[in-house]
Amino acid sequence: MAQCFALMGWSLPVIESMQKLNKPYVVVSFPDFEGYAKEHDIPFVSYQFDEWSDTSNSLDLYEKLKPFNADVAVPLFEETVEWAGALNSIYRGDPRVLNRAFLFRNKAMMKRKALIGGLRVGLFEEVYNKEGVKNFMKRLNQANLQIDGEQDSWVHIKPFASAGTVGHRLLRSMQDIEDKCQESDFPCLAESHLPGTEFSCEAFIHGGKIRFLNITEYVKLGYSNFIPEGHHLHSKRDKIMKEMQKLVDLFGIEYGMIHPEWFLTENDELSFGEVACRIPGGHILELCGKAYDFDALGAFVLCHDPNLSEEELKEILPPLDARPNQFYGNVMIYPHKNVINKLEIPEELKEESYFLDHNLIPPYTNQKINSREGFGNHFGTVNFKGEDPDRMTELLLHYENVDFYH
Amino acid sequence: MHNQVLTDNTYQKFEELFQEFSQATALTRPEKAQKLMGQIDLQIDSSEGLDFIFQNIGGLSEAGIFDGSPWADPSKLVASLVNGTLKSSHPNSTIEILSELRLLAIANGKMKIKGFSAKDAENFIQEVIVANLEFVFNEPLEETRLVMSEHELKKVHTLFKFISKETKLDNVKEKLVEELSLICEQRPVVTEKQRKIIALVKEKIELDPTIDLDSKLLKFQRCIYRPTVKTIDKNFKEYKTSLKDFSKEQLEAESIEMSKSMLSFGLVSQYHPVLVKFLIEKGHKDLIPDCLGLSEAGTARWKEYEEFISKLILKTIHPYNAQCIYGLAKMLESGIFSREAVRSGLANMLTINIHPEVEERILKSTKTPHEKISALQYLMGALFRVLGQPLGVGQGNNPTCQSARGISMWSQHAPAKLINMVQTAATYNDLTFRFEAQEIKASAVGMGLVQNLDHNLDAVSVTLVPMLDKIYNEMMLRASGRAEDPHKWVNPALYGQWIQIGFASAYDYLYNAIVDFDGFIRVFYAMCHPKYNGGHRLIYPNPVGIFITSSKGDMLGFHAISLLRVDKDPKGVYRAYFLNPNNEGRQDWGQNVKPSVYGNGEIYGESSLPLNEFAARIYAFHYNNLEAIDKMENVPDEEIQNIRKLAEESWGRSYTWLETKKSW
Repeated sequence: MAQCFALMGWSLPVIESMQKLNKPYVVVSFPDFEGYAKEHDIPFVSYQFDEWSDTSNSLDLYEKLKPFNADVAVPLFEETVEWAGALNSIYRGDPRVLNRAFLFRNKAMMKRKALIGGLRVGLFEEVYNKEGVKNFMKRLNQANLQIDGEQDSWVHIKPFASAGTVGHRLLRSMQDIEDKCQESDFPCLAESHLPGTEFSCEAFIHGGKIRFLNITEYVKLGYSNFIPEGHHLHSKRDKIMKEMQKLVDLFGIEYGMIHPEWFLTENDELSFGEVACRIPGGHILELCGKAYDFDALGAFVLCHDPNLSEEELKEILPPLDARPNQFYGNVMIYPHKNVINKLEIPEELKEESYFLDHNLIPPYTNQKINSREGFGNHFGTVNFKGEDPDRMTELLLHYENVDFYH
Repeated sequence: MHNQVLTDNTYQKFEELFQEFSQATALTRPEKAQKLMGQIDLQIDSSEGLDFIFQNIGGLSEAGIFDGSPWADPSKLVASLVNGTLKSSHPNSTIEILSELRLLAIANGKMKIKGFSAKDAENFIQEVIVANLEFVFNEPLEETRLVMSEHELKKVHTLFKFISKETKLDNVKEKLVEELSLICEQRPVVTEKQRKIIALVKEKIELDPTIDLDSKLLKFQRCIYRPTVKTIDKNFKEYKTSLKDFSKEQLEAESIEMSKSMLSFGLVSQYHPVLVKFLIEKGHKDLIPDCLGLSEAGTARWKEYEEFISKLILKTIHPYNAQCIYGLAKMLESGIFSREAVRSGLANMLTINIHPEVEERILKSTKTPHEKISALQYLMGALFRVLGQPLGVGQGNNPTCQSARGISMWSQHAPAKLINMVQTAATYNDLTFRFEAQEIKASAVGMGLVQNLDHNLDAVSVTLVPMLDKIYNEMMLRASGRAEDPHKWVNPALYGQWIQIGFASAYDYLYNAIVDFDGFIRVFYAMCHPKYNGGHRLIYPNPVGIFITSSKGDMLGFHAISLLRVDKDPKGVYRAYFLNPNNEGRQDWGQNVKPSVYGNGEIYGESSLPLNEFAARIYAFHYNNLEAIDKMENVPDEEIQNIRKLAEESWGRSYTWLETKKSW
């Protein structure tokens, strides 16, 4: 049993889980949260994660965590992955744990690693300016045997180290590169567009083995997903499991949870997109916990503990072959207009039997909507629950286009 | 059709979310509460849904849905705030509705809360009903319609349907009479509120003249809808035709009856302009004093300026611009027409072209602008009302007490200046003021306190306030950073030369504390208390800064009022009579300090308090610094300590108190 989990990042639901599980923990986060922590008796170490210097580094943080007997570090957010990696390197006496953390933080590096290990990935390249992207697209066009007048091949660019869809741009043509790319985007990763349906996996790993595998079906990236996976994806579960274990072995992951994104083509081929090792966005663990009826956040934390016993693992995780009969899905709601005044929940939603709840925030008068950055600024989520995944898909697609804000 | 499955599902969702909320620790409670509230929001727009939540209100309250919110303690709620909250949409409106359901449960004995009795709850609910008649009768005001969505309106209306079912409306009738009296006794310049209530009662409540309470309500109704016997069953056009057949004696009797109706509550009917104009046009000007209900003095003034005022009447007054007749009558009584400058100003006003933006504001402030009436006519009408009823000027729902106070003050003591200001502002949509030998031009300075003017104001106020507000704010900016309250310099510059040079403030900017409160009160009593100031009366209104406190005596904020006079009331108690531009007749400042608006010797429009209670809420005033010093020692310490106690135990709790003696 871990003596104390160092939770890297501030998350009230995670803290609540730890309290309910009665596990020792200490929260490491920005000084802003210190007051709240004190008020609610939350063990807390304030740390400026965005500062890296002689006085602000993992060795210093290690010292600060000593009084708490911390021996397992858990990254809750993308930005704390290296910090947790560095601390765990020390705790486990294995310098490569840190290197692995770097792997999760560099999308080009992780692709290269996947490629070496025989996973299917798209064509990718590090690019440093617009010209680089254009050249990349040109070579891609050549490889795809483009004929004059045919559309360009689609290219995605992504920052090396951002969470989810932040900074992600889809470029459909040379003109797009000209119009959409900003100076500040570079350097970044350029990659070819992967065909197929996208989904993510949340694999809870202990001792290098997948102990529980959740599959999240993406209905529309950045908008909606549901859990467990629908019938078609479910029929591929064994194949997915195999690829997943390959990924775990290849990356050498022993403890924790990974959240990779995959593409499944019509020919049943799986391509690797990218992988993260923190709490996924889109309320995935919330849905997952509800669908499989377990404390997904608690399990996420506990899996990081090398000393967790088999019994404890069994207790906290659902069985590997569990298949719930209720599907939980959500759709994130974004305003469609540039200026909004009120929130209106449509009658049809109230009467929808799959509708579960929502946490939409009413706007203030004449609220202006800023452009979206990485699907980050949604106004809340609408949750659904029902037993038919096809109906679920239909609903999620439908409500993505319903305007809740006027 | 009632869908059982659907309903069950809805209730089940409520149960699930309620359970999640109850089991959450303090950490994720706000998040779970948000979801639960979202579900409640969806449910309460139908009677069944609301009733279901009402059945669960005890559990919700116990689980802590109100905890940590302004609704936590029912005894701290303020009935007059409910309307605004209901309009502010989910989640505020939802928790407000829950709060009303809780009160209803307490009133019906279904729930008990310490320190808040069933009677308290019932009283509160009745006040809420009276302040929300638009929702009770489902006739939302235009602005309400604008800010509220369909769903929100449905929610709130469902609530009031539910409340009216569960509460006796007879008691509300009593409150309606009280409310109407409270409003009318202040003779406000803007009469929309009382007209709206009267109209709603007429439409929605059957009244029986043999019942005392009902006959009181009928009296209000008649002022507007049938002011004289001869107006029964006639609209004002038919009434006009019928006047032709009146004999001189009948016209005289009609005039007397008409003015009596107007004077009873200060409300003018549409028939009144018809009669007034008929009398002027058909050569019965001698009956105008009867028709306006003038005293001898008023009659003498009418006779002196008959021709000029007739012209004003014909150019301004109309059945759709009727209320100004009351203001005109009061102008005749106050003798304001005797001033040459006022007559010139009014004559000039008739010739101006109104700036399009001002015109827009004026028409916006007129509830139902009539095509035959020009913005200038409305403005003239409002000018009559402001000049005739200086104490009826209000600020509406705007944070512009300073501007309202100024308009009222000029109307009494510098009417010609006010008229000229209105003329300039209406023509140019701009104003200039002098401040310490520099010019301040409204159009050239930054924002004022009010960003979105609430147009529930008279036409004079909507013309002036946006500019006055900016000028006041600019003066405050220029006078800030002087280690003393900027009002010391701003008040004289804004209001005029009759503001005294001496300025006393209880709050000390250097120490950020209340310093020498005893001395402060000494100066105040030496300035205004007839027992200690040599038996002198106040001459000009004194701009006074007061602390507004809640019904619990807690500090809420600052407010600007004018101290008008200090006199003995009918019971022999010295009272402060003052102008409160927020026109609120139902005030409770805690510690049993409750300003009254009638019944204690108030003139229409005045608020009053026993002088010591008034003194216990002030923080700044002006005084004659040559006079007061001598008289300070006259004030007995005992009186001061009484006041100090009231102050210390209310707003004073928010401040540090220092005893350093200041030289006043």
